[in-house]
Amino acid sequence: MSGDEAVKLSGNPGLKGSVLIVVWAEDACNLGVQAADYLSQSLGCREFGEVLPQGFFPMGGVNVVEDVARFPESKFYVCDHSNIVIFKSSIPRMGWYRFLTSVLDVAYRDCAVKEIYTVGAMISTAAHTVPRLLITIVNNKEIKSALEPYNVVADNDYETAPGQKPTLSSYLAWLAGQRNIPAVNLWVPVPYYLVSTDDPRAVKRLVYFFNSKFDLGVDFTALDSAIAGQNNKITRLFDKSPEIKNMVRKLEVGDGLDGEESEKLAREIAQALK
Amino acid sequence: MGICHIKEPGLIDPVMIAAWPGIGNIGLIALDTLRRSLRAEQMAYIEPYEFFYPRKVIIRDGELVTLDFPASDFFYHRTGRRDLILFIGEEQPAEGGGVYAAGSMAYDMANLVLDVAEKYGCRRIYTSGAAVAPIHHTARSRAWAVPNSPELIAEFKSCDNTVLMSDIEGRGGEGSIAGLNGLLLGIARRRGIDAVCIMGEIPIYLQGFPFPYPKGSKSVLEVLSTALDMWIDMEVIDELARQSESELTRLYERLPDEIKQQLDRLKESTVAAAESGDLITEDDKKKILDDIDKFFKHDAGGEQR
Repeated sequence: MSGDEAVKLSGNPGLKGSVLIVVWAEDACNLGVQAADYLSQSLGCREFGEVLPQGFFPMGGVNVVEDVARFPESKFYVCDHSNIVIFKSSIPRMGWYRFLTSVLDVAYRDCAVKEIYTVGAMISTAAHTVPRLLITIVNNKEIKSALEPYNVVADNDYETAPGQKPTLSSYLAWLAGQRNIPAVNLWVPVPYYLVSTDDPRAVKRLVYFFNSKFDLGVDFTALDSAIAGQNNKITRLFDKSPEIKNMVRKLEVGDGLDGEESEKLAREIAQALK
Repeated sequence: MGICHIKEPGLIDPVMIAAWPGIGNIGLIALDTLRRSLRAEQMAYIEPYEFFYPRKVIIRDGELVTLDFPASDFFYHRTGRRDLILFIGEEQPAEGGGVYAAGSMAYDMANLVLDVAEKYGCRRIYTSGAAVAPIHHTARSRAWAVPNSPELIAEFKSCDNTVLMSDIEGRGGEGSIAGLNGLLLGIARRRGIDAVCIMGEIPIYLQGFPFPYPKGSKSVLEVLSTALDMWIDMEVIDELARQSESELTRLYERLPDEIKQQLDRLKESTVAAAESGDLITEDDKKKILDDIDKFFKHDAGGEQR
C-alpha cells in the first residue's frame, strides 16, 4: 500500500501556513487526546480525513475497553478559523515509516503545514500540586528560539536506553526534519499517581501553550473547573487520611516514597478520583 | 527506497557472504570478524526506513540530533581471484516483532540483497547462522552446510568438520532454517544462484540465552576458508572463543551437580556417539532445557532477594 492509498480525505481543507498538532491515544492520563479534544471543542474543529488502519494495525479482531469494542482510529480534524489541524491517532503497531510519511504527506500537501507539534506525557515523581513543566524537543534551532517566550524547558539531553525504543513522536519529528518542516515534541511530566486517571493541570499547561502561541482565544473555564474538582476530591482524601497527605507532602519537598508507599498513594488517589 | 550505492567497485567473479543476528550471533560474529581482518570497505547499504523502527534517538540541549536505525551494509574486498562482497545486517526485519525475519518485509529485504549479488555477477552466495545441537560447550562445534541445490552437496561432503542435514542424528536430511538465512537460499534458487547456508553448532542449553558463541563462528569461518580457498586469520576469533569458553565454564561451575551431570553427558554426544547409537534422546534434551530454565529462574529470584 502506498502512502496515498493509506489516506482517505473528504476534501482539501484549503489551509495555508497551518499548524499540525499530533496526539496519540494510549498516552499516560490520556493527556494528548484530552488536550486535543479540549482544543477541538473550543475551536469548533471538524473531521476531514483519516489514515486507514490496514497495514498499520493487526486485523485480528478488536480490543474491548470499558465494555466497548474499540477499533484503531487515525483521524485528521481541521479548525477552519484558526488554521489548526489536529491528528488524533492510535499508535500504529507496524508500518511506522509509511504511516508517518502518510501523515506528513497530508500535512505538507493538503494543509500546507508550517510547523508540527506532538504532545505526550512523561511520568514524574513530582506531586500534583507542583506546576506542570513543558519540556520541548525540537528538530531545528530556529524553532527552538521561537519557543523561548513560552516558559518551556528546552535544554534536555537524552539518549535511548538499551532495550528501549525511541518514541513515535521523535520519529515523526525526525522525518519532518528530513522535509525541512520544523517540529516540536511537547512533553508534560505528570504525577505517577495520576497516570490511570486524568491530569487537568497538564491538559491546561498544553492548551495554555497553544493558546498563547497561536492566539486562539480559548476559554479555560471548563479546565479550571476540572482542576478545582480534582483538588476537592484529593483534599477530601487528605482529610480522611493524614498518611496520604503526608506522602504527597514528601513528594512536594522532593523526598521519595518507598515502593509500598508509592503503590498505596496511587491506589488511594485513583479510588478517590473515580 | 532501496539500495544506496556508496561506490561501485569493479569486482572479479565475486562471492557474497551474508549474515544477520540470530542464536549466539554465530553468523554475525563470523562475518564481522572476517570484515575486520580483511579491512573490507563499505560499498552500499539498504535504506532502513521501510524495514526497521529506529533503535536510538540522541537529543542534545533540547535538539533532536540523530535517529539511529539498524544498518544493513554491503562491504567488498578484492582478493585478486574471487573477490568478496560481505553483507551484514544488524537486525532482521520481523513484522511480528520477533527476532527472525518474516512476512513481506523479509522477502523484500532478501530480494534487495540478491539484487546487489546479481548486479556484481555473484554466482555463489553463503549465508551463515547457528545450528542448535546436543553438544557440550567444551566440544569443537561442527558446521552444518545446507545448499540450495543437490549439485552442491558433494562439494561440502569433503569439507573438514562439516556435516549435511542427513549426517545429523535423527534428522534424515530434513530440518528448517529460520529467518533470512533460510529465505535467501530459497529466493536465490528461484533466481538461479547457488547458495549455501553454513551454520556453526551451539550447545542446546545455550540457545535461549543472549550469549554470543564464537566457537560456532569459528567453525563457519573454517568452512568459508576451505570453500573460498582463502587463508583467514583466526587469531581474533580464537581469542573470542577462549574468552567465551572461560566465561561459560565459570557459569557452568555454579550449576547444581544434577544438572552438570546431565550436561556432561553431552560431552559424549558427538559424531562418534551418533555412530554408536548412544544418543541423547529428545526426552533427555527436554529435561536438560527444563532443568537449566528452572535453575536460572530460581537463581534470578535468589539474587533479587
